[in-house]
Amino acid sequence: MTRIGVYVCHCGLNIAGVVDVEKVAEYAKGLPDVVVAKHYTYMCSEPGQHMIQDDIEAQNLDRIVIATCSPRMHEETFRRAVAEAGLNPYLTEIVNLREHVSWAHTHEPEKATEKAKALVRMGVAHARLLEPLEKRKVSVEKGVLVVGGGIAGIQTSLDLADAGFKVHLVEKSPSIGGRMSQLDKTFPTLDCSACILTPKMVDVAKHPNITLLTNAEVTNVKGFVGNYEASILKNPTYVDAEKCVGCELCTKVCPVKVPDRFNENLTEKRAISIYSTQAVPKIATINPDYCLRLKYNKGVCGKCQDACEAKAIDFEQKPETVQVKVGGIVLAVGSEVFNASKMVELGYGRFKNVISSIEFERISDASGPTGGKIVSPKDGKTPKTIAFIQCVGSRDKRFHDYCCRVGCMVTLKQAILAREKIHENVRIYVCYVDLRAFGKGYDEFYRSARDKDIDFIAGLPSEIHSAQDGSLCFDVYDKGTSKLLEVHPDLVVLGTGLVPNNDLGNISALFHASRSADGFLLEAHPKLRPLETAMGGVFLAGACQGPKDIPDTVAQASGAAAKAIDLLSSGEIELEPLKAVVDKDSCSGCRICESICPFVAVEMKPEVVDGNERFRAEVIEAMCQGCGLCSSACPTGAIKIQQYSSRQVLTQVQAALTETCTEGGK
Amino acid sequence: MSMAKPNLEAREKILAKLRGRELVNCFQCIKCTSGCTALKLLELKPHEIIKLVNLGFVDELPSSDIIWTCVTCLKCVQRCPQKASPYHVIMALRNIAVEKEAKVPEGYLKAVSQILETGLIETPKKIVTRKMETVDRDCLKLPKINPPKENFQAVFTKTMEEK
Amino acid sequence: MKTAVFWGCRILTSQYAYEMSLREVLPKFDIELVDLRESVCCGDPIKSVNNFTAVYLGARVLALASLTGLDDLLVPCNRCHFTISEANDTIKNAKTGEKIKTLLREEGLEYNPNIKIWHTIDLLHDLVGLKKIKKAVTKPLKGLKVASHEGCQIIRYSDLGRVDDAENPKKLDELIIALGAKTVDYAEKLDCCGSALMYSHPDSALSLAGSKLKAVQNLSVDGLVVSCPDCQLMFDARQKDAGTTVGAKLNLPVVYYTQLLGLALGIEEKKLGLYLNQSPADQVITKISA
Repeated sequence: MTRIGVYVCHCGLNIAGVVDVEKVAEYAKGLPDVVVAKHYTYMCSEPGQHMIQDDIEAQNLDRIVIATCSPRMHEETFRRAVAEAGLNPYLTEIVNLREHVSWAHTHEPEKATEKAKALVRMGVAHARLLEPLEKRKVSVEKGVLVVGGGIAGIQTSLDLADAGFKVHLVEKSPSIGGRMSQLDKTFPTLDCSACILTPKMVDVAKHPNITLLTNAEVTNVKGFVGNYEASILKNPTYVDAEKCVGCELCTKVCPVKVPDRFNENLTEKRAISIYSTQAVPKIATINPDYCLRLKYNKGVCGKCQDACEAKAIDFEQKPETVQVKVGGIVLAVGSEVFNASKMVELGYGRFKNVISSIEFERISDASGPTGGKIVSPKDGKTPKTIAFIQCVGSRDKRFHDYCCRVGCMVTLKQAILAREKIHENVRIYVCYVDLRAFGKGYDEFYRSARDKDIDFIAGLPSEIHSAQDGSLCFDVYDKGTSKLLEVHPDLVVLGTGLVPNNDLGNISALFHASRSADGFLLEAHPKLRPLETAMGGVFLAGACQGPKDIPDTVAQASGAAAKAIDLLSSGEIELEPLKAVVDKDSCSGCRICESICPFVAVEMKPEVVDGNERFRAEVIEAMCQGCGLCSSACPTGAIKIQQYSSRQVLTQVQAALTETCTEGGK
Repeated sequence: MSMAKPNLEAREKILAKLRGRELVNCFQCIKCTSGCTALKLLELKPHEIIKLVNLGFVDELPSSDIIWTCVTCLKCVQRCPQKASPYHVIMALRNIAVEKEAKVPEGYLKAVSQILETGLIETPKKIVTRKMETVDRDCLKLPKINPPKENFQAVFTKTMEEK
Repeated sequence: MKTAVFWGCRILTSQYAYEMSLREVLPKFDIELVDLRESVCCGDPIKSVNNFTAVYLGARVLALASLTGLDDLLVPCNRCHFTISEANDTIKNAKTGEKIKTLLREEGLEYNPNIKIWHTIDLLHDLVGLKKIKKAVTKPLKGLKVASHEGCQIIRYSDLGRVDDAENPKKLDELIIALGAKTVDYAEKLDCCGSALMYSHPDSALSLAGSKLKAVQNLSVDGLVVSCPDCQLMFDARQKDAGTTVGAKLNLPVVYYTQLLGLALGIEEKKLGLYLNQSPADQVITKISA
């Protein structure tokens, strides 16, 4: 026999405005085993909690049912209150009368009240069968793997390293810095991007707590929150990092030209070269797809090796895999720029003077292919008319439905830079739909752009044409003046949006991080948990979670670091006991649970039974999220979720279907 | 300038003729108008028609000339980022113009009566060649044209009653 | 193979050269055309009057095609092809579909959703294939340089599944090149012929046609190649009026692709109806004979 206390919360008017809470409490009082049934305005408040605690002591209660809002809100609070009163916190049952009743059936109060009574009856039935459970503590590794070396990865790494954690920062290109290192100036301050970024890059390289692995990628991840083991593949650079001094003598003698990715293929560089002017680490790397010696393997060329005074070139360098043990992972793999050649009517890829926004950045940057001079790629001359076109690939059901968030500010910045560099000798048009300048200092920045004689046209062109002589032309209608303009630009800059990386599918699979409908990585909750994935110990930072600008990226990166510190700083974590457990005697070793578990939380362990080797399922508690898929799939009932065994669930079903709301109230 | 008054009932009638409600997604990017084949010559602004329908300012549209300027090139359908499809909205407005017996270009109504009569929109013509000779189907030895069977007229008329 | 064919209105009532040239060239690829039991409008002009009737007429064509027992239907006119394809798509909506099917049954007709709708261009490009066409060419059109015009309603709108790509249509160009001729790319390639405006704004219609013809003439090509009777009507039959409207002297040969194909296959020009073209089509013949 149990002694159950039932507490019905008004939740202000949230529940009581629809449900007759008094009637529900009265009904509950009549249910078997219910000793106390009360109702109160805010059960989660201090007096509310005290009410429960006092009753536990005075009435010797051993089960508590609280009919209130979603357990996601206050289940922890109530468990703590119950524990403080000396009762096992897992003997608490939450019945949701808000999301499941008053909010869902706002316009049917009578039926809602009946449903509330039924749900309470079910809760009481479950409560009778609840068992006391304990949290378990697991020790954790005080190290973090940060995947991606852009500004997000850099910021996260520095915050973690400063807090005393060991950081392994993995970056797939030869240098850290990412997208931000490609930018000329940053909005809204027009800070020089390299000037604010490179000190952080150097800090990362120098920090004693950070192990920097460039030209590397994660190939495998095993384990669970607090105890991950990752395999990192270091791709060969064919240059000994210890010996290379970054003098670039090798680059000068290399005969092979390759497309320069850092400069968005606007120029060429050599097969052996340093990735960019501000690269960290400042070490030459060889591109094996182009290097003659590496491709043809016949002792050809080798000029770089001859020229290198530090004897750093090593054509025999092999890929190397390292294993690291970490407690948490931060994914900071960034995003890509929309490939505008998909929007055929705009002529990107066909017309040389139609460029993407990131290509404009390289042209504008003093360290770029034109030394910072704004020129039309086709003839290298200063443009007399520049047109910026917004929303290319974004807000478009044909490509990406979402708004890229940064496009408007990027274009404003680029238009301002063009004005500042070419002065009054250029006509600048910005063709836009909605100009989104939402952040701190952003609308002021927009005003400063309007101040600089930049023509804002409220409308987008449908297509861009090229005349027989190769000059560009497009028509655009302006909403404000109702006039049709014919524009003859020497340079068209497309506001190409940010899109999920091509290899995000791979990342998603590797780290068990889901993706949202727009293709970016999915956060655990869009408002309340934007820095974590549903996978314990795997956090998100930067544009891989959704397109964003530098201020938001840095904020999110520091936040992700804080989350990781929060998780790992005590050296151990507590695991919720509402997990799957296996009754080994009933387990037939069929492996259905192993295959069905989305969190890779079931392992098959070999055991010798009566001289035969059998496999039995074993739950990795730290990975298990208690979703219950295994429990419903198991043919023998050997695996079950604590508090949600078949018996514990069916008793609720029975309470729902076989009893009525009048029966209990006797 | 007079106050605009929305006519939501008339708006619903228009929406009911469309296959979907995507036109409400239009955020006035103006691509349709910028690229409209009929803009320069006839001042057709598809974005304006969509906005007028969205806000319910539809009383004047069916009796306007502008809805008959669409060239049906389908560029607006192809390029619209929200699939609002101004072309289909314009066709719906034309249907309403016919219902209301507003200014419908004669050619369309003639086509209807010709189809009822012979099944085609016009009768086979004699044409003049470059060498100034007159020819027709028979002298070109082309197959005879068979008109639709008896029930056609009745069912055709029935379909015209479906609004 | 056998395919049903739906000619629409224009081809039967004035654009005879298209029918003549199609009937001449397809047998060379072992394609037999089977006419439907009756000639009737696809419903295109009715869209502006009552869309439901237009969908009915479009579905009716498919029902008529079904009577032939064949799985393929060739629709050589762009507008008919679009109308019938869209009608086919509209009927997927359960309510509309049921109404249409019921009405068809009153005529003793049964709607068939499984008929493959072809246009001249994809029938030749995708079904017959460029290789076969190249092989069949006996008189390559050497020295001939032309501009192609696929028109609007077979390339748009992509979601419906059209004959060629909406922004970069290549099939007609490739078909022309297979004959040994050359094609040019030009900015006005995707511009509309304006035929839909003839009922209401004939001057504007002619202006659109005239602008395009003027631009093509300026490319110094030997002709403009089309594959739709409405486009042909504007560019060929109305070339003089179009020229007057835009203030240009137009003297551009405009031919159907099937007429060019016929020439390359060695078919007599009379049989291809080239004398019916109002534009100076004999210039094309002179050029390729040179």
